[in-house]
Amino acid sequence: MDEERDIENALHAYGERIRFKQRLAKIHAATDMSAMRQAADSYQSSLESSGQVRGLWKTYRTTLAVAASAAIITTFGSIFLYRSYQQSHKQEQQYSQLSKEIQAVKSSQRKLWSDLNGRGRALSLNPGQVAGTGFLITGDGYFVTNNHIVHEADSVYVQSNKGEVYKARVVYTDQSHDLAFLQLCDDSAFRPMPTVPYSFDARSSDLGERVYTLGYPREEIVYGEGYLSSGTGYRGDSTAYQVAIGVNPGNSGGPLLNEKGAIIGIISGKQTTSEGVSFAVKTNYLLESLNNIPADSLKGQPIRLNRKNALANLPRKQQIKRMQDYVYQVKVFKHKE
Amino acid sequence: MKESKHPVLTDEELLMGLASGSDDALGQLYRRYFPMVLHLVMTNTGTEDDAKDIYQEALIVLYEKVRSGSLELHCQLKTYLYSVSRRLWLKQLAQRSRFMVRDIESPVSDDVALDHLSDDLSVHEERDRQFDLMADSLDRLGEPCRTLLEDFYIQHMSMQDITEKFGYTNADNAKTQKYKCLMRLKRLFFSEYKQ
Repeated sequence: MDEERDIENALHAYGERIRFKQRLAKIHAATDMSAMRQAADSYQSSLESSGQVRGLWKTYRTTLAVAASAAIITTFGSIFLYRSYQQSHKQEQQYSQLSKEIQAVKSSQRKLWSDLNGRGRALSLNPGQVAGTGFLITGDGYFVTNNHIVHEADSVYVQSNKGEVYKARVVYTDQSHDLAFLQLCDDSAFRPMPTVPYSFDARSSDLGERVYTLGYPREEIVYGEGYLSSGTGYRGDSTAYQVAIGVNPGNSGGPLLNEKGAIIGIISGKQTTSEGVSFAVKTNYLLESLNNIPADSLKGQPIRLNRKNALANLPRKQQIKRMQDYVYQVKVFKHKE
Repeated sequence: MKESKHPVLTDEELLMGLASGSDDALGQLYRRYFPMVLHLVMTNTGTEDDAKDIYQEALIVLYEKVRSGSLELHCQLKTYLYSVSRRLWLKQLAQRSRFMVRDIESPVSDDVALDHLSDDLSVHEERDRQFDLMADSLDRLGEPCRTLLEDFYIQHMSMQDITEKFGYTNADNAKTQKYKCLMRLKRLFFSEYKQ
């Protein structure tokens, strides 16, 4: 019975299709074929227009490829050049000279300067613009600091940790080693002091040597200690040491002493990109510069350095106590542009 | 002219007209998308007759789906007809050992619609086979059985008319004849079809 129904269904479907085909044939016969052809010819589809784009793409593919690669090379090339330029530029800036811009601490300075002698009062009318550290190399008033501190200075004053201010004369500057020699005895108020307690060690020091410094990153004298970490300075500068010591703007020009209290260098700068990487000019370059000072700048009297180290057998605290009178803050006044 | 007399029907209305057997709807549908298929077939090395055959076959697919009530459109009617025509034409081309068509429209591309399209076409293929087999079986059945069955099942003639046309003594006699013919057709058809 199932099969009977199946065959009937199949027959019905067959008949249905035949009738539909007949209808289609009738409709087709009634259809205006020329209109259909016209419609087909002018048939515009979405793909046709993109086909046109595709045609253009095929035609100009190679040109586009060349142009695109040129653009890519130019873009990345200039980015690369710019980056490498920036990189080298940044490295220049990584070295910061540790002179201090005074403007920021103007107010606290004023307080400190209203001191004895009335000298501070006069100065406070025109506060210094740059400050650093320096120290005496002879008891009779020869003084060393960094060249970058006194560079283009109108006038230079030094201030002891007791607050006494003296005017200083720039005797000689050595730009290549960033050294400047000053003389305090120009100022009649300066009374020659006893011979400096420290000696100058021109021999190159060993890595790992314990070192310390005194300086004026602020108005008070500040002690800092560390160790010698490399025999060369910034970017392999053989005239300097690398020192692992915490220094700040204002420490520039400070003495770098070893365990025995001998001066082995002068703090000159630090690397801004890493912490605790500072640099100090080696003592033998200090001596070298000293010898280059023209005789007439010294007014006939040669500088005699102290050779006897009075600090050698003292404990650190005593060493500092003895030498802090010889470490001065340097204040520099510049003509404002 | 015909179209201006009647309102332009939407795709939805066309399908409803198709289901109810409206000649007007079929005519509109036929003329609406024929240019598209004509363009497709003509740009792919076909003739006008090829286009007609392909388009009519596509419409048969659509019609039989609509009549069986199993039509599920997952895209626009236009896209459906295009995709079906495209497949059918591809099949034709494959028989002529060409396997590419240059598309003039985008055929259905999402998975669900593609699945349904493939299903529809395999159903259509099955029906095609049945159709051919039925035509063949009817041919082999011989007269008067063939005409009798055609008159009853395809032309939907009444038993009374058939009795008169074939000169049977009464309708019951005609019925018995029809039943015998149907049984013969069944054997012919299923002996082939079951294989």
